Order: sequence, then C-alpha cells, then structure tokens
Amino acid sequence: MMRLKQAVYHVGRLLLAAVFIYAGVIKGTDPVAFAGQVANYQLLPYAWNYLVAAILPYLELLCGILLLLDKRVRPALVVLFVLNLVFMLAISSLIVRGIDIDCGCFRPDATNKTTPWMALWRDVGLLLLMVSTWSLRYRLQPADDN
Amino acid sequence: MSKVQLSPTLRRILLEALILCSLAAAVGLSLNFPMVMNAFSGKTVSQPKPQQLPVPGSQSPSTVAVVAYPDPIELDEIDELLASDALLVDARNKTDFAKSHLAGAVSLPLGEAAERLAEFSAAVPKERVLILYCNGFGCPDSFDLGVILLGAGFSEVRVFEGGYPEWRDAGRPLAKGAE
Repeated sequence: MMRLKQAVYHVGRLLLAAVFIYAGVIKGTDPVAFAGQVANYQLLPYAWNYLVAAILPYLELLCGILLLLDKRVRPALVVLFVLNLVFMLAISSLIVRGIDIDCGCFRPDATNKTTPWMALWRDVGLLLLMVSTWSLRYRLQPADDN
Repeated sequence: MSKVQLSPTLRRILLEALILCSLAAAVGLSLNFPMVMNAFSGKTVSQPKPQQLPVPGSQSPSTVAVVAYPDPIELDEIDELLASDALLVDARNKTDFAKSHLAGAVSLPLGEAAERLAEFSAAVPKERVLILYCNGFGCPDSFDLGVILLGAGFSEVRVFEGGYPEWRDAGRPLAKGAE
C-alpha cells in the first residue's frame, strides 16, 4: 500500500512539474506575446500586463523545477495552488463577462484555442492533483518540513 | 476574537513560498527589465528591427533611418482621438483586412508600405493622428509601420498594441471587405 502511495505521489509530482515547466518555458520565451494574452482578459491596466508577463513564467518554472527535483515540494505547491486559484478566478470572470478568448495558459500563439470552460476544468484537475500530492507528501514524510 | 495560530511547519512553508515568489520576481524583472520599464513609462514595448523595414521607394527590405518611435495608445483612449478625426490604419495583410477590420480603418500592410507610401502621404495630411494596429501584442507590424510613417514625416503616429483581437473582444464595431 505504501509503495502504491509513493508511486501515486511521484507520478502526481512529476506530472505537475512537467505542466508548469512547459508553461513557464513557453511563456518566458515570448513575454510580449504572453502580455497580450494577459491583456485579452481585460483585467489589468496596460503596463501591469507586462509586469505579470515578466514574472509569472519564472514563478511557474521555478516551482516546476522544485517539484521535479523533489525539493521544497510543499512551498512550491502552495505557490502553484494560489496561482491556480487566481487563474480560475480570471477565467471565471471571462465566462461571466461573455468574453470568448484563448486562455493563454500555454502557447501564446496557440492555433488550437482553449476556451474558458475547457481551461477552467483543466485548472480544477490541476488543483485536485496539487491537493492529493500535498496530502501524500505529508503522509509519506510527515516529519519532513518541506 | 481568537487569534489564528499557525504551526511552525506551516509558517515555514508559507515563508518559503514567499521567498520563491520573491526569487521569481527578481529573476523575471532582471531578464525583462527593458520591457517592463518601457511599459510603465508609456513607450511601446516592441523592439524596432530597422534593418528589416522596407525603405520607401524600394522594392526589397533594407535599412531605414529611424527618426522616432511611435507611442502606444490604449483601447479606452481611442474613442477620444477618433472623435477628433484620427485615422485607424490596419498594418495587417490585405486578406486579413478584407475578412474583418476595425470599422473606419484603412489598409496599409507593412509589406506594401514601400509601394503605397507615396499614395498614402498624398491622401492623408501629415499632422493627422494615425492609430496603427495589427494582430495584437507580439505583432510588430504596426510598430514597424509606425517607424516608417514617422520617417515619412507624419507627426502623430500611435500604436494600438492590443490591436484587432482586443478591439474585437471588447465588442467594438468591425467591418468587412476591401477598401
């Protein structure tokens, strides 16, 4: 049973690492285009879109790398959990306002559009994965501070 | 009211999460400092590539003398300028323009700027405010066209970086067909 839990923990951790390293690299290589995706949400003033585009990819990348290395897993999960909640709020605001844009979650120049509803469900999945990874980490290594 | 007590472990995790955020902010801002500074000082963010711009009167892309850079304009500033006779200029290609464009815009694709600049200059007064746009953030055509128009003597050239996608998503009026 313990082995199964360990396997599930590592699969969840690596899956999250892959998702956020990919997202961070893709957005970080073209921050101007990503700023455009942020601007499409129509939530922030002009310059703040660029500030978000400058920082967010590195936050995703850093947390993804920590998950990959199995270091500071819980701090990284806290950051990603809060980020994901912010994403979900922003996406929900699109749905409420009736704005149908690509979510900009990964490739800024995506040819296959991810609608707000699709992005919201994906974020719910990621949130559940984060909660289960946190919980398994705690059960497997309760004395570990990270 | 009772005070919420966090366990030392949870406090440490939250502190480390804050350190992670600070580290990411430091790295991101260091690597993108010019972009963020330009945005906050009201300048356009796109980087000029003058060596790739078509020189007016020439058929092939070559170097153009950059005399100035166009300033950015936001969506909510456009109405005021349009009310004072500003002209929307679409820097995208003709096909995209024909499919859909900002209502009232004229087409001047960056790729045709060299051939069409004389005709455009003859039709539009040099002091008229021009609002250039293309396919949104990350699309440099409107910025590059702005550099060409400023070089050709137009004095009031602005770039709407949100471009066609931001205008469309804001529910602003669109038009179809060639000019």
